[in-house]
Amino acid sequence: MADAEEDAMPRGGASGEEPDLTDETQDFRFLTTISREDASIPKRGEKDFEPHATALQSNTLAASRHAMHAALAFQRTHQPRGHTLATYHPETNMAYAYNPKGPLFVRMGTVLPAIEDPFGDDERRGQRVWLLPEEVLFLMNRGTVDVRWPGQEGLAMSLQGAYAMFLGDEGERGGGLTFERYAVYSNLKRSGYVVHRAPTWEGEGKVPGDECYAAIPSMTPPTWHVGLFNYYTSWWELFKADDKVKEEESSQGPLVASKPYRSYAEIYRRLAIIPTYDPTARFGPDDSQLATDPAFRITYHVWKPSNTAYKKSAPGPPDFRIAVVNARESAVPTSAQLSALMETAPYKPPPEQSQLYQKLKHGYKSVILAIVDQGVVSYLRLADAAFGREKLYERRGQPGGRRGGRGGRGGRGRGR
Amino acid sequence: MATTSDSPTVQEPLPIFKLAQRYLVYDADTVTYLRREHNICGVLIGGLPQAPQQNVFSGLPLELLPEEARLLVEKRVAYVVDDVAKHRRAFLEDGMSAEERRAYQAALRKQGLAAAGEKNRKSEQRKKATLEKLGTENWNDLPEDMLKPRSDRRKRQGGSSEGSTIQPNDTPDDETLFDSPGAAALCKASTPHNARSAEPQPFFVTPTTSYPPLQSAAPPSESTHVDAPDAPQSYPIFRYLHDQGYFLAPGLRFGCQYMAYPGDPLRFHSHFLVNGMDWDQEFDLLDLVTGGRLGTGVKKGFLLGGQEEGGEGRDKGAAKSGDETSRGVRSFCIEWGGM
Repeated sequence: MADAEEDAMPRGGASGEEPDLTDETQDFRFLTTISREDASIPKRGEKDFEPHATALQSNTLAASRHAMHAALAFQRTHQPRGHTLATYHPETNMAYAYNPKGPLFVRMGTVLPAIEDPFGDDERRGQRVWLLPEEVLFLMNRGTVDVRWPGQEGLAMSLQGAYAMFLGDEGERGGGLTFERYAVYSNLKRSGYVVHRAPTWEGEGKVPGDECYAAIPSMTPPTWHVGLFNYYTSWWELFKADDKVKEEESSQGPLVASKPYRSYAEIYRRLAIIPTYDPTARFGPDDSQLATDPAFRITYHVWKPSNTAYKKSAPGPPDFRIAVVNARESAVPTSAQLSALMETAPYKPPPEQSQLYQKLKHGYKSVILAIVDQGVVSYLRLADAAFGREKLYERRGQPGGRRGGRGGRGGRGRGR
Repeated sequence: MATTSDSPTVQEPLPIFKLAQRYLVYDADTVTYLRREHNICGVLIGGLPQAPQQNVFSGLPLELLPEEARLLVEKRVAYVVDDVAKHRRAFLEDGMSAEERRAYQAALRKQGLAAAGEKNRKSEQRKKATLEKLGTENWNDLPEDMLKPRSDRRKRQGGSSEGSTIQPNDTPDDETLFDSPGAAALCKASTPHNARSAEPQPFFVTPTTSYPPLQSAAPPSESTHVDAPDAPQSYPIFRYLHDQGYFLAPGLRFGCQYMAYPGDPLRFHSHFLVNGMDWDQEFDLLDLVTGGRLGTGVKKGFLLGGQEEGGEGRDKGAAKSGDETSRGVRSFCIEWGGM
């Protein structure tokens, strides 16, 4: 059922126009329509403007509250058959289960190698699956695992106990899992994504590698060279234009010397004297490489549910990188914080054939910020757009320019 | 549906559980009670086990804003409990006596039995309904192997009710979906069919709260507000609006600090986008324009407010409530006038 539901769930904001139901508190009376097979989601606009003390209104409110209470009072039970038992391990603040069954464990939990397993290399190590705090908490929340306190009797751990240990105790011992991070983790998991901790979960991680920068051009022009300069008609014209600009680059003369020009582009090119940022021209970290701020670091690597290349043992490159930000403790990131964060994202230029606005929106690097305000998550996509590379005067075919595109910022990307 | 018939009541003062600087409530009755009696909504941060793959509806626990926790503590409706220490002592450091442990397990077993019984009853009902729809009489003409699971059902209909024979299709848990039919048959064969045992096998239960077995006691009532949770500087306006009967919710995604609802957000749209300020705080005039336009754009008022320093409680509402924190709070609503 879980898989069917995953497919049926709308991925909010696909068109950008449909209302996002998670934005506001929804009427719990509609929950029954969600948990059924033919999941239809309530429309918006079922609410009233203000209380007007009618019996109808107060009865509806009472019914909504009753439905909410009934939904919240649901008891998590496990049938004796097919029930997944896990045991809490206080030393590492993780839990382990032997041979857990179910589709969820295809993407969660790890069997630790002999040197890392806290119990060493005993005969059951291969079956022992270790679950990270966020994984246990999520699985417990959805009623999948039955977690027990360590000890002889194996007392059942309550949801409250799990929060106290996996989030409260984790915080006290300085672990990486915070409320914000768990909120984002569970939010994404409930939407069906595959989520794993990024290498920068704790600490700075490695220096950004080659994949974070444009490839260094080799002398034999590979195919992408052609694409890069496809705004110029030919190599010859490129050469000619470059030569001429260089020729006239003197501090005295006018920017545009008086002589015949064959196109406006030649004149504009001469006027472009303000240096602009070019992400394609960076081939490695410079000396003044910025250190990432702990408040703005990539926290999770996220794979789409449809990503068939994903395997737990070899996940491959993630579809998204998400940095979790606490709205109450950090302000809008500074340019330095942002550049350092952006540095760690892989270099992913937009396809050369795409439209101007799509290129700007796509950017050359991108990272998603998940901003959490008291458990309410908002996703923002930040892209490293290169306005300096998209020269309007070199565009062809549409002299007036097309209107109606949107800016370089992704807006509410919703993990997209 | 009557308003009072099934509304749970909770004994005040009630516990708020603190962990990692957050304030949580785990009890569904308390959540409903706070909402109904004290206009406190909080944010549900958990998932619903009955609908685990969606984000539209959330479940327990409920996270209270520090403002809400503080307000409840100040009003002596609630007190704060350090949950981590409690759990560690009880479950990891042998803080519970053997008797308490036994009682806890017995209680869980009882709940598990009840759950199993309930489940059985429901599936029996469903089977009965299906059988009635199909008409059971013609079944004798069907081949033997096709009948197998059905005949089993009929047998049980005639008296036995056994937990272990529930069909995989009857269970909402996705694990069981992935048991192959062969495994299910095997499992059934291995469990003894005891027609006389009326007692189903108990389910395992993951309780939502830890109280009981843990005990929490309210601090003596004469204790002062010393341990009131820290709240941000916008607390006065929060408290003020709450005293006026508004429901407040965090408003970051709408571009403000709080959303103010005239009634329960379950039923009503919000009226105001609220930002709290210090009395002498300087801010950009552009913020005023932006906020005003934003509010007008979504048909809400953009509300700014703060506490006047040394204010005499000019505002009637606050003066009436006679409370220190909301005294001298003034609020201003900005609307974009289309001249």
